[in-house]
Amino acid sequence: MVRVTYDSIKKKYGDTVAVEDIKVTVDDGEFAVLLGPSGCGKTTTLRCLAGLTEPTEGTIRLGDHDVTDVHPKNRNIAMVFQQFALYPHMNVWQNISYPLKVDGVDKETRRERAREVAEMVEIEELLDRDVGQLSGGQRQRVALGRAMIRRPAVFLMDEPLASLDAKLKVDMRSRIKVLQQDLGITTLYVTHDQEEAMTLGDKLIVMDDGNIQQVGSPDKVYHEPKNRFVAGFIGSPTMNFIEVERDGRTIRPVHGAAEFAVDLDDEVAARYEGHDRFEIGVRPQYFKLHTAQTDNAIRGQVKVTEPMGDEQLIDVLVGEDEDPLELTVKAPSTIDVARNDEVWLTIQQELIHGFDLDSGERIAEGGDQRQRVAASRAEAE
Amino acid sequence: MATEQDTAQPYGEQSDLEQLYERLVETGLAKLAVYAGLGVFLVWTLFPVYWLVTATLKTRETLLSFPPQWIPFDAQLGNFAALFAQRPEFFQFILNSVIVTIVTTIIATSIGAAAAYGFVAFDFPYNLDFHLPFYILSTRFMPPIVTIIPLFVIYRSFGLVNTLPGLILTYVMFNIPFAVWMMKGFFEEVPRSIVESAMIDGHTHVGAFVKIVLPLVKPGLIASAIFTIIITWNELLFAIILSQNASAMTIPVGLASFITKYSVQWVNMSVAGTIALVPVLVFAFVAREQLVSGFSMGAVQK
Repeated sequence: MVRVTYDSIKKKYGDTVAVEDIKVTVDDGEFAVLLGPSGCGKTTTLRCLAGLTEPTEGTIRLGDHDVTDVHPKNRNIAMVFQQFALYPHMNVWQNISYPLKVDGVDKETRRERAREVAEMVEIEELLDRDVGQLSGGQRQRVALGRAMIRRPAVFLMDEPLASLDAKLKVDMRSRIKVLQQDLGITTLYVTHDQEEAMTLGDKLIVMDDGNIQQVGSPDKVYHEPKNRFVAGFIGSPTMNFIEVERDGRTIRPVHGAAEFAVDLDDEVAARYEGHDRFEIGVRPQYFKLHTAQTDNAIRGQVKVTEPMGDEQLIDVLVGEDEDPLELTVKAPSTIDVARNDEVWLTIQQELIHGFDLDSGERIAEGGDQRQRVAASRAEAE
Repeated sequence: MATEQDTAQPYGEQSDLEQLYERLVETGLAKLAVYAGLGVFLVWTLFPVYWLVTATLKTRETLLSFPPQWIPFDAQLGNFAALFAQRPEFFQFILNSVIVTIVTTIIATSIGAAAAYGFVAFDFPYNLDFHLPFYILSTRFMPPIVTIIPLFVIYRSFGLVNTLPGLILTYVMFNIPFAVWMMKGFFEEVPRSIVESAMIDGHTHVGAFVKIVLPLVKPGLIASAIFTIIITWNELLFAIILSQNASAMTIPVGLASFITKYSVQWVNMSVAGTIALVPVLVFAFVAREQLVSGFSMGAVQK
């Protein structure tokens, strides 16, 4: 149980930069999730902490100790791999207790500790099985057990749920969260699945292209994305991005779609003073879909609908030229529309984001975003 | 009939050959043909062994008689004793063969495995982890006989001619390329994450190699050991040049010595040949199960 500090970590493979400059602190007992698309350097970042990859520059500290050049076995860490990495020639309890065996703990104690840990991950009835006989979920529990048995200072998990099927994933996810909170062990967890990241993490570390894009709580990262990348990566379905020009209070898309002309409220328009051309980001659920003409609405045509139970996703085409704007809208399933129907969209303006075209940074909105969200929800209901 | 075919084969006509094949399967003829083929193959492979072993029970006359005596009715059980009575140095040959084979196998397999793991697990500069194994393999490209005269000259200067260490050195050289390539394949099958996991669980890299990786590639170790044993046990060319008297001669050299200027001692040769055959056969049989079983990477999701 210890604080983890990355100080300017850089990793190059030949001329390829895998990780450019990582500076981040994970507090004692915190559950931090490294999130990003594949190839963003999140696994390399984790492996540097494990000691399996040697950083080209920078230092890593566990508590007050500089562990940059310490062998993995002396770091007091445990790691769970995506491929489980169980020892195929040992049975379940031998696998779980292997770290203790290496430490020279006697067999009786090992067996006893393995049983305790197996109870925590609910596989006590499998202790004498060969790992080859286990299902994917059971194997992952064995791997978790093996990581827990030594009570390490830090847990590292590299996409531990990626090879499990969807239902098992959700089940294991909550189990990992409960275990982590009960044990209070500092955890770094790598995933490319933003839903997994949002549900598990106390702190999200969003990465892209070898750099950290944003560090923050799941809510903060979702509602106040630092830049266009984070805004687009977090949230499913993805935020709609439209490059617009501002003319007074009215915004229009730069490319085509004359039907799209929205008058902004004074308060919202004030945010974008000084930005004549920028990109707006609107999450699918921040559109409101109407089947009849409405004030300040964008006229469009339904391309396709995707029912999802209570809600539905509707792809709407705006503009009739050969290059129409395509918007994804999330609407209650009570609205009944079909392909090629004409619809009108209004925007919940206080919830849109604006992004600078050059830097991709979010244009400051002022005030507490969360409060505005709460207000908008209350209004909607 | 035609309509039945149409419904059974809606996606195109069967060719005549396919129809014929189906008929053969239905009538069981196809199976019969397979078994007949296998039977011929079996006789082809096993008959020489049968002939060798039965020859040990025959006299020179019955062995060379025509028509051949298929089954030795008047078994000459004294042939084994006779061999060692006539050629007592044969004990020495067997002992030499055993020592040379065991020591060679241990050294070649260990060095081969360690080298192969190095190539698989580490990144070498200048892409050497690709080039070096190829270089090692290339040492086997030329016909071995090419090296025999320089080798003999070098051995003579170092006093290695007619010694067991000299023979062992040659055979280790022979077998390492093979062991490296064989083990490379097996090590590549071991997921890196297992090794990394072992290091995080408290092993050094060497510790992880010995305690985790080696047990996993046991079938590979046994397979390369078997091949090394077979090659070494049967090697004649280098043994005949590098050993000049009984103190360093191996069984194949002893076998060759039955072919003299004046005659071939068929019975003695059969007896000695059978003796040479047995250990390899027994070892292969014992190791058979190890070879096929155990290589389950089931604990890993690929």
